[in-house]
Amino acid sequence: MYHYLLTFSKRGDLRFISHLDLLRTFVRSARRAGIPIACSKGYNPQPKFVFAAPLAVGIEGENEYLDLYLKEPWETDKISESLNMQLPAGLKVHKIRQVDLNRPPLSATVGAALYKVLFSPVSPDLEQALHDIISADTVLLERKGKKDKKTLNIRPFIYLLSMKKLEGEKGVLFMLLATGNKGGTRPQEIMSLLPLGDSGGRTKIKIFRKDLFVMYNNRFKTPEGLSPSEYLE
Amino acid sequence: MSNHYLGDLLERVRKPARYLGKEVNAVFKNPGQVKVHLALAFPDLYEVGMSHLGLKILYALANRLPDVYAERVFAPGADMEEILRGENLPLFSLESNTALQNFDLVGFSLQYELSYTAVLNMLDLGGIPLYSSERKEADPFILGGGPTALNPEPLAPFFDFFVLGDGEEVLPEILREYASWKDKGRGKREDFLEIIARIPGIYVPGFYEPVYSQGNFSNMRPLKENVPLCIEKRTVVDLENAFYPESFVVPYMEVVHDRATLELFRGCSRGCRFCQAGFTYRPVRERSLNKLKELAGAIIDNTGYEELSLSSLSSSDYSQIEKLIDELQDQFQQQDVSLSLPSLRADVFALKLADKVQRNRTGGVTFAPEAGSQRLRNVINKQVTEDEILEAAAQAVKAGRSHIKLYFMIGLPTETEEDLREIAGLARKISGLRRTVKSKRRPFKVIISASTFVPKPHTPFQWEPQLDLKLIKERQELLRQSLRGVKGVDFTWHEAGMSFLEAVFARGDRRLAPVLERAFRMGSRLDAWSDSFDFSLWEEAFKKEGIEPEYYAYFHPETSAPLPWDHISTGVSKHFLISEYKKALEEKNTGDCRKNGCAGCGLENCPIQVGEAGCTTIS
Ligand code: SF4
Repeated sequence: MYHYLLTFSKRGDLRFISHLDLLRTFVRSARRAGIPIACSKGYNPQPKFVFAAPLAVGIEGENEYLDLYLKEPWETDKISESLNMQLPAGLKVHKIRQVDLNRPPLSATVGAALYKVLFSPVSPDLEQALHDIISADTVLLERKGKKDKKTLNIRPFIYLLSMKKLEGEKGVLFMLLATGNKGGTRPQEIMSLLPLGDSGGRTKIKIFRKDLFVMYNNRFKTPEGLSPSEYLE
Repeated sequence: MSNHYLGDLLERVRKPARYLGKEVNAVFKNPGQVKVHLALAFPDLYEVGMSHLGLKILYALANRLPDVYAERVFAPGADMEEILRGENLPLFSLESNTALQNFDLVGFSLQYELSYTAVLNMLDLGGIPLYSSERKEADPFILGGGPTALNPEPLAPFFDFFVLGDGEEVLPEILREYASWKDKGRGKREDFLEIIARIPGIYVPGFYEPVYSQGNFSNMRPLKENVPLCIEKRTVVDLENAFYPESFVVPYMEVVHDRATLELFRGCSRGCRFCQAGFTYRPVRERSLNKLKELAGAIIDNTGYEELSLSSLSSSDYSQIEKLIDELQDQFQQQDVSLSLPSLRADVFALKLADKVQRNRTGGVTFAPEAGSQRLRNVINKQVTEDEILEAAAQAVKAGRSHIKLYFMIGLPTETEEDLREIAGLARKISGLRRTVKSKRRPFKVIISASTFVPKPHTPFQWEPQLDLKLIKERQELLRQSLRGVKGVDFTWHEAGMSFLEAVFARGDRRLAPVLERAFRMGSRLDAWSDSFDFSLWEEAFKKEGIEPEYYAYFHPETSAPLPWDHISTGVSKHFLISEYKKALEEKNTGDCRKNGCAGCGLENCPIQVGEAGCTTIS
């Protein structure tokens, strides 16, 4: 088996497809491209496609990652070119490199995601609310499961919140949030804690996931070695 | 609708992928640069409509024509409808987000009676007047085709015309006529309808008026000269060379049948007497092995699907089915494509085929004996014996399959409680196999699924009443009781009220149209979904319109009585239906005409036997 790490983006209207939809779309695109996908063993073999972290419906992803396993070695350029020929507009592979087969997929190590949230209008109370969250020890949030509700402290999952006002009532908020198998929170959850809008009108929100980060030597870095601060505008 | 606006809408609904479009293999054209802009409308949710083969065939067929742009429109979910109504936005197409009212033609796929109010809802949301008579020059023409168009009378006032039979035969002719009518500067709506009423297989209901006498339908009176008195359904005679898509739109979201479909053949020669498809899709027309392999290869290459369904009314009857499976499996060895076979007969051969196609032989198998006793299976002409069912079941158990699911119908003509007890008896025998047959694995389940018999037009049971609603419920209960205590048996059944409504509209006439409108106004939407089905709403709608639904469900005319769909011919003669009806009551079988020789159904274009068909009554 041969192991590759792909960086791709999910843009525009394709933000409306779910994580499972994305998986199906990638698998079928790879099949159309004739890429020799490796499959898991067992009664019901599944293609070995491992996304680093599911992206919620409605969010655009700028640097998303996929661990891909093939039965035969293919040149990296050939993989990305033939995939890009088949992927629908909105999905695009930007980078690809071969990695050690024994290296765990990124989904096992990913620890944080950086989100950029564009919104308007900006509530006058927003700055204070952000400050309150940052300075608090606990931030309680109610999560609805399939059957029950759970209250949990999401403060440990918030690494950074930084807001700037833009022209024309608009604001931009960067959030570095924990994600991955040690727990995390999502930008919509943070937004639900904030005062939005002014006179009860609908706030327009657009969310982008800029990149995903892994902890190296106590610092968050993208798989390409960038640190979160390089994204803050 | 601008893309920005669409995005804003999609932010607010639960399943945005239903309305997104932009799937792989979706067709994009500039609607301003074609002559005919056609909406293919499916009156159910995206995930249901996108599982339907007919829609895919017509989509690809129409879009091959350079002058035509065919787009898809599905029924919106409740959340989307609320936004559309709340903000006064029209229902729009998936590809170019065009409002329904701005199309030239809107064609509805009519697959089941319980989708009728969804049709009205889509017209209304699309900004199109519900009644054909209220439509103006700028409104699109509304057409309908599919199985229930073979008795379209309850829908007649809402449609401009119906297409009877195989759509791929007729649709190109309609599109051509529309283009040339438009070229000539369009005229009155009626002019166009007069032109297409001359195309065989097209029924313009506004050109006819039903006459009733003493509360019963008596005859269909043509309102114009030169309109056909008998409208015969169209048939693709040469299926081998008929159009079949080599690529399908690949949905993002999971749809009900999320796989590629290969249609092996059309029609079925077994002649089960309750089955409308079996009588209305005659004769059997097969595609050749080579053609199928060619199509399968292209479809898999173009879609990337991991599963190919070998689809037909009764796929194991394809004349070279084993060879086809073997050769397709060879062909797809490299590509990891699995095959699936829907609708299997309850016999060992079918099970053998299922074993052949399934890598995983520990899943369930499904059989449809339909009736519990041999007597009743003779009545409905379902030619499978209990020994065959038990043998197949024993093999399934041996192979270690997790469950055996058996489909039955409650309320078949002549059914007695004894027949139902025999269902339980059969379940008991299958369950008992766990003692006599050595299974490879775990214990298995027997699932008994009971639907309710609905008499359908153009079948030998079109003269039979449906079993009384109360009795159906009693018999469901009886069956449930008698299955109690049988080890490892689950029982599922259909909502009897839904089947009752289905029966009302299946054999209905035009007097039912106001009830449909009323039920739609009262909020009836996707009635085929049991969670949104509200029987009391329908009762209310019937009451308000002063119509007794029982009249239709329990209608039990003489075979000589005129029927509201007599002016529509499927090619099978009424004499044949009558003789099949009589044989049913005498508990006599009629053989499979492909094996046992022509049964004399009257078909004109049958490659096996030539007969004489047509409508039997119209004045
Ligand atoms: S005409 Fe004869 S052979 Fe042909 S479908 Fe009818 S019964 Fe069968």
